[in-house]
Amino acid sequence: MAVNSLREYLDLLDTTGWLRSFDQPVSWDLEASAATMLANIRDGPVPVFESIAGIETESKLVGDPYRGPQTRPWDHFAQALGFPSGLSGCTYYDRVIARLNRTKAPRTVASHRAPCKETVRTGTEVDLLSFPWPYIHEGDGGRYSNHHTIVAPDPDTEWGTWSSHRMMIHDSSQASLLLLAGEQVPNRYYYDYEPRGEPMPVAVVIGAEPTVESTADMWIPTGRSEAAFAGGLKNAPVDLVQCETNDLYVPATAELVLEGHVRPDDRLDEGPFGDYFGYMNGPRRSMPVFEVDAITHRHEPRLPFCVEGSGVGYGQNSTSTLRLVAAGPDATVGLRAAGFDVAMAVPWRFTSRTVWVIATDRPYPGYLHELANFIFTTWGMLHIDFFVFVDAAVDPLDPRAVLTTIALEADPDADFHQFGVERMPKVPLNIYQTPDEKGSADVGTSKAKTAKAYIDATTDGDATDTTATAETRKRAQERLVEAGLDAARFDRLDEREGKSQ
Amino acid sequence: MIPFTQYVRGLAGDDDLVRLDGPFEVPVDVLAAEALRASGPTLRFQRPTGIDLVSGVFSGPDQTQHREARPWSRLALGLGLEPDATLVDLLETISTLGPTGGNPEPTYAGQAASGTDIDVQDLQLPQGETDMWPAVTLGVASVSTADGTHWAPVHGSVVGGDTLRVRVPDALSSLVADGTTMTIALGVPPAAITTAYLLAVTEQTTTPIQSCGVTGTVPLVPTNGGLVPSATEVVIETTVVDRQPDFRSDRREGWEYVVVSGPLSLSVESVRATDTPVIPISPVGRPLADDIQLTGLATAATLYHRVNNYWGISPVEWVMLPAEAELGICFVASDVLYGGFEWQLANILFSFSSLFDTVVIVDEDVPPQDFGRVLADVWLKSHPARDWTFSEPDAPAATRPHYRTDNETGSRLYVNAAWDPRWKETYIAPRVTFQNSFPGNVRDVARALWDESDTGPEDTTESGASR
Repeated sequence: MAVNSLREYLDLLDTTGWLRSFDQPVSWDLEASAATMLANIRDGPVPVFESIAGIETESKLVGDPYRGPQTRPWDHFAQALGFPSGLSGCTYYDRVIARLNRTKAPRTVASHRAPCKETVRTGTEVDLLSFPWPYIHEGDGGRYSNHHTIVAPDPDTEWGTWSSHRMMIHDSSQASLLLLAGEQVPNRYYYDYEPRGEPMPVAVVIGAEPTVESTADMWIPTGRSEAAFAGGLKNAPVDLVQCETNDLYVPATAELVLEGHVRPDDRLDEGPFGDYFGYMNGPRRSMPVFEVDAITHRHEPRLPFCVEGSGVGYGQNSTSTLRLVAAGPDATVGLRAAGFDVAMAVPWRFTSRTVWVIATDRPYPGYLHELANFIFTTWGMLHIDFFVFVDAAVDPLDPRAVLTTIALEADPDADFHQFGVERMPKVPLNIYQTPDEKGSADVGTSKAKTAKAYIDATTDGDATDTTATAETRKRAQERLVEAGLDAARFDRLDEREGKSQ
Repeated sequence: MIPFTQYVRGLAGDDDLVRLDGPFEVPVDVLAAEALRASGPTLRFQRPTGIDLVSGVFSGPDQTQHREARPWSRLALGLGLEPDATLVDLLETISTLGPTGGNPEPTYAGQAASGTDIDVQDLQLPQGETDMWPAVTLGVASVSTADGTHWAPVHGSVVGGDTLRVRVPDALSSLVADGTTMTIALGVPPAAITTAYLLAVTEQTTTPIQSCGVTGTVPLVPTNGGLVPSATEVVIETTVVDRQPDFRSDRREGWEYVVVSGPLSLSVESVRATDTPVIPISPVGRPLADDIQLTGLATAATLYHRVNNYWGISPVEWVMLPAEAELGICFVASDVLYGGFEWQLANILFSFSSLFDTVVIVDEDVPPQDFGRVLADVWLKSHPARDWTFSEPDAPAATRPHYRTDNETGSRLYVNAAWDPRWKETYIAPRVTFQNSFPGNVRDVARALWDESDTGPEDTTESGASR
């Protein structure tokens, strides 16, 4: 059974030894994020900072709660969904895909039944600075909330649209939101609300339950409800509750909800910030202003944050893990729904937004071009630069196997395909862009267009290792585990379901 | 010089070896392959005959999985370095074993493998699930000529009690005739097999070992074939009976992708072993196999040495042909001296090796042990249009990849994943790291928090300076 809240998820981590609470005061000013980055690097427990130095607050900071173990990043999240630990990556994907194919509509609850309404502050009681927003990296433009779900209006769905855009805190009631044109919520603001001179109501939901948090990272098609996908993932309806000051509905078990609106024709500084590419990203930009109208929260709210940048290379953090464990299965569902017979679509382990690996058969010539074109012109348009296509038999969660196929199967002469060289849109975050190319255009997109490419690393059907049968390999792995090798490293032992790592 | 058995004991002493007792109902080379895929330790297959097999001794953990992985650390130990030696330390040490390593006077010692004659089948070499015969892997062939002794890697099969069919570099075949004696040494000191691989991948097999640095490192002993390391575990003396047998293994050792090789049929004249011999094996053809790692490191040592002596200065920090990519791609970390230098560097690497036709250039401050960062920078720092550069399609096909096996020409590719040297320093985005993103006092607080905790994560070294 899936957990219903961030707190239940943290309890789950605690029971498996993956949580560490610190009672001693820890400062929001770099200390909490430094300790979190150390845990991310070392693959240690998730830290909970119970006491925040220098501020009177009942809030607690939680560093990268959704980071999965480096060897099996999906393992914690699998347990949050009610699956056993120790699933192979492929089995995990299969199970999540099955759930995503059975969406469940949310249900609404009354305010008095919503934990996120345990405390309600409006008017002069609103004070953003009473919460310990972390200053995450030295050199950041300010203190950030960067691990939350933004709920915005959507005329096509009953429950609004959910997404994630980082937010820099400015004062007791204002923050700047990184709204980069090209994505759904920013487009709604820049091309709909702002031209009409209307404020756009927004709720920033912090510490939502795991399936909500992960759904915000998915690529849900327009017109479909993220809430229903979150319910499918949870295998139970997600509880929603109406905001106090607008018509939006927010997840009821959330830790903290900031209700407010984005002011038209107003901007505040945003950035620079140590970004998910693993580098400090600038320049400082002018971004839309989020004005907070009300704050509701649970008692002793847990405020999760992500140390962005630490999820590049070997390390994992919350966002890199959520892309692997949620966005990947969701994209697989989406591609299949569009008629493409893909086995799995998986973010590249080391740079989870720029490159995706897609395991697929090639039923007819031109199929890969068609598939790449579909993705580049829909989901992958802004963030993704490359797709690597591998055989359906190759495990795209195994970076060694993918690297090998790139090296041995991708012919530079025939298998690298560029799409519209330097004609495609791009978010201004990649570090290969010069500051001039990144620009500071009004709506936040890059001044320079970019190229997209795909690599055909599929074989002609004859490259799989056939020197040992799958059954023999499995028996070998069982024998090695008996000898004391770590079972978590073996890919053929799905029967270990139910056993702890 | 470290004898092979001492090397294996050292791995056990470092908790990098797991013992498995027979009988082995699963083929030994499948067990070896699975352990390598799982970044496991060296395996020692203990058998009641007293003749043990070991796998994974020259390979190491999969770098795409382990942050702290240094897949060259086992071989470094075998060559007398510290296990945490840098890749460059190892590459330079490998280079000293070959012809550029001086010409020291050989030393001689008694043969360790002096046990009673046994049949070659008594060695019970491993036989894969789909193999017809037991496999000889990680062997060193030794042939004597008027110039001296010549070493080369050998890979083959035991096809009978007195017959081996093997493949050796053509250069070695050219030195023998029917009736020539050849010795095959199994379980040689790591320095010796590394030398054999180095000579093969540099196509210098005809250079006698008396002209190589290895003779100053490894004590030798004469055999009917040629000199072999005195501390060899198993010495198989043979006679060449057929220089063109109809034989080709389905699998190829790593070096067979670098040099042209040919088959030989050998008659076994004697087999001598130590009292309790330990024989290294490689799961040839499987990911991360020992022979791939040895070939990759020997080739990288050669390339490192050659490119760093090309410009009068040494801008290249390291070169790697990762076993994780089965040698089909070359990574190089270098100072990009000027605009266009990356083009020169890539093409020089293409000139010096035929294994790959893709080169990836990363910044010189990217450490090779942080391979995860290498695999990130490829996609982060290289513009999809400007930094992926393809040649005209008239280059010969590389030997390792599977495509273009019909001798057709095609393109080569280099990926420039380094900062453009023409950029102003202010264009260069600083990296987010523990070191860069927090001042010293904050780092101290963070370390203290975890170190005070019994349940704190294990300490590891975060690598990578920033620019």
